[in-house]
Amino acid sequence: MIYLEVINIVKEFGGLVANNNVSFQIEQGEIIGLIGPNGAGKTTLFNCIVGFHKPDSGKVTFKGKDITGFKPFETNREGIGRTFQIMKVTTGMTVLENVMVGAFCRTDKRNIARAEASEILSFLGLEGVKEYHINELPIAIQRKAGLARALATKPELLMLDEVASGLNHKETEEVVELLRRLNTEKKITLFLIEHIMEMVMSVSQRLIVLDGGEKIAEGLPGEIVKNENVIKAYLGEKYAKSH
Amino acid sequence: METIKDALDFRDFSKAERIGLILFTIFLLAFPWIGTGSFVKAVMIQFLLFSLFGMGWNTIGGYGGQVELGKAQYVGIGAYTVSLMMVWWKIPFWVSMPIGVLIAIGYSFIIGYPLFRLKGHYFAIATICTSLVLQDIFINWKLVGAAKGIELPIHEHPDFLYMQFKSDTYYYYFIMVFFYVALFYMNRFRKSKLGYQLRMIKDDEEAAESLGIDARWCKIKAYTIASAFVAVGGGFMAVYNLYIDPYSVMDLDLSIKIALMAMLGGAASLWGPIIGAAFLVPLDRFLGSWLGGYKGLIGVDFMIYAMLIMAVSAYQPRGIWGIIEQFRRKGK
Ligand SMILES: Nc1ncnc2c1ncn2[C@@H]1O[C@H](COP(=O)(O)OP(=O)(O)OP(=O)(O)O)[C@@H](O)[C@H]1O
Ligand SMILES: [Mg+2]
Repeated sequence: MIYLEVINIVKEFGGLVANNNVSFQIEQGEIIGLIGPNGAGKTTLFNCIVGFHKPDSGKVTFKGKDITGFKPFETNREGIGRTFQIMKVTTGMTVLENVMVGAFCRTDKRNIARAEASEILSFLGLEGVKEYHINELPIAIQRKAGLARALATKPELLMLDEVASGLNHKETEEVVELLRRLNTEKKITLFLIEHIMEMVMSVSQRLIVLDGGEKIAEGLPGEIVKNENVIKAYLGEKYAKSH
Repeated sequence: METIKDALDFRDFSKAERIGLILFTIFLLAFPWIGTGSFVKAVMIQFLLFSLFGMGWNTIGGYGGQVELGKAQYVGIGAYTVSLMMVWWKIPFWVSMPIGVLIAIGYSFIIGYPLFRLKGHYFAIATICTSLVLQDIFINWKLVGAAKGIELPIHEHPDFLYMQFKSDTYYYYFIMVFFYVALFYMNRFRKSKLGYQLRMIKDDEEAAESLGIDARWCKIKAYTIASAFVAVGGGFMAVYNLYIDPYSVMDLDLSIKIALMAMLGGAASLWGPIIGAAFLVPLDRFLGSWLGGYKGLIGVDFMIYAMLIMAVSAYQPRGIWGIIEQFRRKGK
């Protein structure tokens, strides 16, 4: 059985084709990178999978079940978690409370939700900031809090929309380390959109490339950097030469 | 069991708050005996009643962050159920009031379902409209007294079952009991799964959905809880005033006052609606008797409220309680 299968997804926004016949498959346990220039349709594709957008046509199946047109909360309950490229900076709840909300998805008991949230926060090294409101924290920590919140729902497939953007080199390395741990220790399949090439190349086992709404390439990182379409569309001559 | 423990557990509050609650409770218990006049007692009853309304509104309006401006229709449902059942079938308050609450729950569920397809201002306007429509129906509906309203039969002797007493003191203590039930319920609610989920929806609805929360369903639940609270107050109004009509229990004024009080005091906090009612109910009474003499000044009271709420929210969107918390955070 195919783990996640995306078949011929089309999504238009008033004439602008943001996703055009995109198809691919993901296997359980993989780490897959999704790359492409700005406006390529990466976030849109995520939204079509998790249900924030209903694709105009095409199909999404997860573990053999057709989840096309499911609502976001329904795809989450199927086991798909996601983080946002732009996290709303909210003032109403502390980091701990945010993560507890995630944990509440699997329990009705506050004590259990709190214990699970605390566990995840310490897994991510965030115990120190749990009583802060998200708007009081630096961006790197905010992104981690967003990740913690998604993790608290116990996803088996986690879709990350640019978790490392805005982070410095050291912070990025930490995130890479963290993602590897999630994959190996928690057995979470990862599907990530990323702009930082070094990062996505090093962490992903396989890459999918979008450009202008279409999938233009798919393969191992080593193949992708040599792929002519990709070089033309996205990576630029410089990167190709230097590798 | 755990529910009751949660409801009575104020440990996460500061010492000042807990002492405040105890002093406030002693004050409320002693109040009828400190020899104030009937006018002041009536104001106190209004205060407790509007605190009850405000706490109910706070579930959906405060914690859920949905601008709800149609609570009057549920005051009406509670009040009319109690009145009509008493007039038609002599059904006692303690039977008709829960039935009114059940009707409010059913009705709020039915209209909540389509209502919560709407967001933001559209939702706010729709809540006003549904309330106005219901009021219009009652104004024109002969069977339920139309615009003239209903008078409740007055019993010769005090009657607990029908909630008829000679002295306001009894009404005072009964509304006080409702007030405390509401307060304890809200104390549990704010710590409950639904409470957390609503706060997340208010902060960021998309994120909430991505965390497995069915935002629409949560809002409907909160709206239904709010409506139940308000219907209890409506039922009380009927037996307390012994007369209701569509203007006194279903007016837009009432809806706005309920929301305004909670927002002024501090939406999404336990004390907010109570603080708001403590400010606005006396002010409302005062302005009412003061402006009542001048025919042309209708609406001036709302202008004053509007200015008040603008002044407070310009400084702190979370109302008076928000200001208090802000100072506490600074103090630390
Ligand atoms: N809700 C929307 N309504 C209209 N157009 C949209 C909407 N969402 C995305 N688009 C458009 O669809 C195209 C693809 O956007 P998308 O956000 O998916 O790109 P992306 O690959 O994630 O880009 P980035 O790297 O900048 O995040 C863009 O041209 C964008 O303007
Ligand atoms: Mg994007």
